[in-house]
Amino acid sequence: MASVEWVEVRGPSVEKAVEAALTELGLESRDEADVEVIQEPQRGFLGLGGQDAVVRVKRKERSGSGGRARRTRSGNGTGGRSAGSKPADGGPRKDAAPRAPRESQARNSGQRTATAPRPAAAARPAERPKPKERPPRPPRDDDDREETPIEEQSADIRRFLVGLLAAFGLEGEVKERIEDGAIHIDVVGEQTEALVGPKGSIVQAALELCRTIVQRRTMDGAKIRLDIAGYSERRREALRIYTTRLADKVKAEGGEVMLEPMNAADRKVVHDTVAEIDGVRSFSEGEEPRRSVVIAAE
Amino acid sequence: MRGEIVQRVVEYISKEIVENPDEVTVTIVEEGPDEVIAEVRAAKGDMGRVIGRRGRVAKAIRVLAQAAADEEGLQARVEFID
Repeated sequence: MASVEWVEVRGPSVEKAVEAALTELGLESRDEADVEVIQEPQRGFLGLGGQDAVVRVKRKERSGSGGRARRTRSGNGTGGRSAGSKPADGGPRKDAAPRAPRESQARNSGQRTATAPRPAAAARPAERPKPKERPPRPPRDDDDREETPIEEQSADIRRFLVGLLAAFGLEGEVKERIEDGAIHIDVVGEQTEALVGPKGSIVQAALELCRTIVQRRTMDGAKIRLDIAGYSERRREALRIYTTRLADKVKAEGGEVMLEPMNAADRKVVHDTVAEIDGVRSFSEGEEPRRSVVIAAE
Repeated sequence: MRGEIVQRVVEYISKEIVENPDEVTVTIVEEGPDEVIAEVRAAKGDMGRVIGRRGRVAKAIRVLAQAAADEEGLQARVEFID
C-alpha cells in the first residue's frame, strides 16, 4: 500500500488539526510525525471572521519500512526533513490546500475545474473505489438461519469485539446502541487507537468481520456503524473542515469544484456542510461507486 | 513467543467465524527476524467461511493480523492451508 507521507489539515486549534492529520496518516502519536504550524488560529468575533489553525504533518522517516512505497515531493523546496522543525512562519499562506503528496497536481497551477483537489481528510485511494453496497443475498433453500432480533445481533457484535480486544491484550470498552434501525458500536479507550490503522483500514476490517459474525446467524443483518477510538467522528470533522474551506473558495472565486468520489455517508456530510454556507450549493454527479459531490457558486 | 498476539488474534477470529471452532488451529512459523507467518487450518467445510466471498474475510483477517503484529514490532503473513 502506498503510504501518504504528509498532509496539511485545518482545524479550530493546532491540537485538533494535528490530531486529525495524525489520524489521516495513520499515526498514533505526535512522536511519529514532524509537525509544522503553518498558521496559528485566530479568534474571530462570535465565531465569525476567525482563522483556523493550519498544520502540515509529515510522517517521520522510519528505518526498515522497506515495503512501503515512498514518494518524494518534487519542485517544491520543502521536501526535506527539516520542514518539520521549521518554526511557524506567521502570516497566513495563500495556498494551504490539503493535499496528499501522491496527488499529481502541480502547486499553484490554478486549476480548479473538475479535477478536484484531493481532500486530505477524506483521501482514499481512487484506484480502489469502495465497493457498492452488496445486494441482499437471495434466500437459499438450505438456509437454516433465522431472523435474529437486532438486539441479539448487536449483542453478538459486542461480544465479538470484547473478545477481540482481549485477544489483542488491549484495554477498552465496547458500547452499543440501536438507532434508526442500525447497530451503532463505539469501541473506546486510549489503547484502542491501535485498532484504527491508516485511513481507518483496521476499522473497516473489523467491520467486515462484525458483518460476517452477524450473517452467520441471520439472513438479513442490520446495518452496522462501527467507530473505534473516535476515528470516524474525527474523520467526519476533518471532512467538514475541508468542505468549508473549499466552499469558501468557490464562493470567492466562482465556478465549481468536483470532489473525489465518496460513499453516500461522506457525501451527506459534504452536502450538509455546504447547506450551511450562503452563496454555494452542492449536488452529486456520476454513478456509484464513483459518485462525486460538486460544489458550485450560486 | 514471537507472534503470540498474532496467533491469539487470528485464532480468535477464525474460531468465531467457523462452524467447528475446535478444529481451528493457528500455527506461527518464524520467517525471518521480523516476520511471522500464521498458518490457519480449519475443518474442510469451514475454510470457505474463513476466506469468505471473494476473499473478503481473509483480507480482513490479514489486516487484523498485521495490527497484532504491529504490537510486537513484526510483519505478519497469514496463510490459509487447505
